[in-house]
Amino acid sequence: MPARTHAHPEPKPSLPLSRAIVRFAGDSGDGMQLTGDRFTQQAAALGNDLATFPDFPAEIRAPRGPLPGVSSFQVHFADHDIFTAGDAPDVLVAMNPAALRANVGELDPGATIIVDTHDFTDRNLAKAGYTANPLEDDSLQKYSVIPVDLTGMTVDAVQKFGLSRKDAARAKNMFALGLVSWMYGRPTESTISFLRKRFARVPEIRDANITAFRAGWNFGETTEAFAVRYEVKPAPMPAGTYRNITGNLALAHGLVAAGVQSGLPVFLGSYPITPASDILHELSRHKRFGVTTFQAEDEIAGIGAALGASFAGSLGVTTTSGPGIALKSETIGLAVATELPLVVIDIQRGGPSTGLPTKTEQADLLQAMFGRNGEAPVPVLASRSPGDCFDTALEAARIAVTYRTPVLLLSDGYLANGSEPWRIPDVADLPVIDPAFAAPREDAGAPPFMPFERDPETLARPWAIPGTPGLEHRVGGLEKADRTGNISYDPANHDLMVNARQAKVDRIAQSIPPTWVEDPSGTARVLVLGWGSTYGSISAAVRSVRSNGLRVAQAHLRHLNPFPSDLGDVLRGYDKVLVPELNLGQLSLLLRAKYLVDVIGFNKVAGLPLDTDELAEAITVVAEEN
Amino acid sequence: MTTTDLGFPGLAGVPAATGKLTAKDFASDQEVRWCPGCGDYAILKAVQSFLPELGLRRENMVFVSGIGCSSRFPYYLDTYGMHSIHGRAPAIATGIATARPDLSVWVVTGDGDSLSIGGNHLIHALRRNVNLTILLFNNRIYGLTKGQYSPTSETGKVTKSTPMGSLETPFNPVSLALGAEATFVARTIDSDRKHLTAALRAAAAHRGTALVEIYQNCPVFNDGAFDAVKNPGTRDDAIIPLEHGRPIRFGSDQQYGVVRTGTGVEIVEDPADEDVLVHDAHAADPATAFAISRLTDAGVLHRAPIGIFRQVQRPTYDDMAREQLAAAAAETSDRREALAGLIAGSDTWTIL
Amino acid sequence: MTYVITQGCIDVRDRACVDECPVDCIYAGSRMLYIHPDECVDCGACEPVCPVEAIFYEDDLPSDQAAYLKVNAEVFADHGTPGGSVKLTDALTDHPIVAAVPPGVPTQE
Repeated sequence: MPARTHAHPEPKPSLPLSRAIVRFAGDSGDGMQLTGDRFTQQAAALGNDLATFPDFPAEIRAPRGPLPGVSSFQVHFADHDIFTAGDAPDVLVAMNPAALRANVGELDPGATIIVDTHDFTDRNLAKAGYTANPLEDDSLQKYSVIPVDLTGMTVDAVQKFGLSRKDAARAKNMFALGLVSWMYGRPTESTISFLRKRFARVPEIRDANITAFRAGWNFGETTEAFAVRYEVKPAPMPAGTYRNITGNLALAHGLVAAGVQSGLPVFLGSYPITPASDILHELSRHKRFGVTTFQAEDEIAGIGAALGASFAGSLGVTTTSGPGIALKSETIGLAVATELPLVVIDIQRGGPSTGLPTKTEQADLLQAMFGRNGEAPVPVLASRSPGDCFDTALEAARIAVTYRTPVLLLSDGYLANGSEPWRIPDVADLPVIDPAFAAPREDAGAPPFMPFERDPETLARPWAIPGTPGLEHRVGGLEKADRTGNISYDPANHDLMVNARQAKVDRIAQSIPPTWVEDPSGTARVLVLGWGSTYGSISAAVRSVRSNGLRVAQAHLRHLNPFPSDLGDVLRGYDKVLVPELNLGQLSLLLRAKYLVDVIGFNKVAGLPLDTDELAEAITVVAEEN
Repeated sequence: MTTTDLGFPGLAGVPAATGKLTAKDFASDQEVRWCPGCGDYAILKAVQSFLPELGLRRENMVFVSGIGCSSRFPYYLDTYGMHSIHGRAPAIATGIATARPDLSVWVVTGDGDSLSIGGNHLIHALRRNVNLTILLFNNRIYGLTKGQYSPTSETGKVTKSTPMGSLETPFNPVSLALGAEATFVARTIDSDRKHLTAALRAAAAHRGTALVEIYQNCPVFNDGAFDAVKNPGTRDDAIIPLEHGRPIRFGSDQQYGVVRTGTGVEIVEDPADEDVLVHDAHAADPATAFAISRLTDAGVLHRAPIGIFRQVQRPTYDDMAREQLAAAAAETSDRREALAGLIAGSDTWTIL
Repeated sequence: MTYVITQGCIDVRDRACVDECPVDCIYAGSRMLYIHPDECVDCGACEPVCPVEAIFYEDDLPSDQAAYLKVNAEVFADHGTPGGSVKLTDALTDHPIVAAVPPGVPTQE
């Protein structure tokens, strides 16, 4: 049932909004990720603050129709700074019955649903689990439903390009994008130039997509189905040049920057795994910076080659997700024993085992901390937002090189694929990392080289790379004697070395800033403490609770091992500490064990970011009890 | 810094020594701790004696090993070294060799280390043809864990973990390597210093992954496994010597010869001269080398070809990886400036 | 480095060491056995099997037997490195120091 259209003589009124949340949902082959990405770029170009949440099935081309194959992309854009991709969408674009059914439950009453009626056949309805057509009964009464034959109108609009019906229909996502772009008065130039470039080699597809996009816009302009359009003004943001960036891209750029800032060649050894593979793809394009990427035969070879490269004087890096960390554990232990720099990146996903490859989770913290045999302390860092992945990558490299140690950097699926506007840093302001290789000893009378003699300040051992005369030495997994590095089975030496390796990691705390705490009231008695990608949800929830007059402080950790030196005092400074995590309480466990502070966990393991409203409610309960 | 051109193309780019070194220069100060009579001693001695011949600086040599008796090897050489973890030495060495063209990189491994726990890394190193020399000490038993059967132990082998005999078919390391697209595969024997040294020399000269299987006696857990090819009384009839360009004849009176059959090769007594296969280690197709490798007994060893099975040229992974890097770097003169461009991307907006 | 056979072997020549040597570097003279210092691989297999405890690692030679380091080396002066005792058909000519030891003289202690 296509909406009737006719030329509209007057421009439609424009309603100002402070923020909006739009979700595009369809089958995994419908191009929803691309549609969301373009809509995001338009919001960025307009100067909105924004946050995105792509959510897609693990299957490449999931079967059409049933719920598990639904792919979606949510964009939250605003005229003020925001922290999350938002909870309930204001507008849902559903390309078929399954996309409608999978998403409608998350809408608040009054939300707008733009639905492509073309695929509402009996068979598709049944596949999606509908017994009756929801567009024909009253089940969607509380929403504003706009049924549109997107597919049919797209096919009509692009008829002149002579595409097959199937290819013509594929442009329907651009029709939908054009329509929503009109609704929010988005700038269209970036999308049109993007389409020109993307399909430059297939002119008929290029023209069909551009035509569908424009047809969607014009449809909004002329149809009676939309009485108003909306306007979300640019957000005031600190001065600077911005771009939109995803976590994986920022992380890859951070690693390139670490190579440039240390003067070291970067060697990435990696095995493809969701959601980390994009870092391998990105780094493989940056050979001009001296970045070598090695796609290994397995996870173990990936980290093995990286560690070999580190021994040889490169900045060794390996990227993976939780299952890959499990496989790399033994080599991380070898890096601990050999005391070589190594950056190990875990883009966390739902677990255990294969778990939920495309969903987000923070359940690898304890694996990062303790997932090795023996006493094998490893510094652990976590990024808190897509843009922050850049800085965290540099910080991981700084610690690895300065302290001659493997460093575990935790990101997750949400940060990896989610994006935000990122103020582009000035290269001159980036930290410089000094590899400080051990100097050659060519004087025959020089005392023998001590490969395990420690720097008094950092407790790090020398990084003596092959090719340096006079420093020939052997490293390995067997316990080493203090200073000489010879194999040692001596009990007292083992005790000394175990403690020395721990002391070295503890020493890192001297080089990191105090805990980041924000308390506008200055008198809060409740602290909400988080780590990693929950920063956005926690910030939004804390802000919402504060707007209701409650006094709540917020802290967020980048360094999880060692913790900032003042963390114990910070925790003891509040009556109550709430720790929200996308796991069953892993940071809580560490804080309780280390500081004997009875923190309260807020734990959710659904494969999704924390729901801001739910978290705000939990904070309110804790704050009001106090 | 001089680089070497000492007849070892595999080491091109590795700086040459300024003075002459001796075997003693390559001995570290660590006490050697293998069992008395272990074949590893003979290999260590041969390697220490051979290394000076390469004419390289000690600091530009790296020995990487995994876990097992043989993997103690790097501790006894005064070069750079890493005694890593079980089975992973080829992966670690791949990183070292790819990162540094100026290093001569060696892997020392055993039959358990390289064919069992590390099988994956071995075949992929061979396939990639990374510039490494891999010495595979094959004693057909697990020594360090005290006597379990290995992936090269013969079927029926009675060991601590197979009291009623092993049920498994062993690997033939040479056949395996040839199947894994290896460009250089040789086999030699620990106690034959001359042959072992010649194999090392050819392997070091090869640019790409060179695999040298070394039959190595374990006097404690598998003593006598290679008696047939070592004992003066039997070895002439047991060893099939391979020399490139030479007819493959052997036996105390040269009475045996290797001849072609329909699809492979076989051993014939008193063959006509014109029927005897002339060994071609440089053949592009590894099929004949593979057929020759199958003349090795799979069970108790009575007969085995030794020498270089295959030696062909193929571009190496690490050379090509560095070429890509160099080609890409040629476009970038100032990395900081390029970094600024990279992180800015193409879609930016400015807020004043 | 090498292992060294000392005076105790004179007129004993038990040969248990020869059976143990993995590289066949122990050669027979008329009155005693000799280890070829360039062929010895330091594996130590010979030392524990000697019935008269006449074999020592170079660094552990008793001072009164120090001369035997030279004895074991010099006896091969005309032979180079044969690459195994099996390749040498005739017995080595004993070193003059060995030849000079009167028969029946109690060896060590």
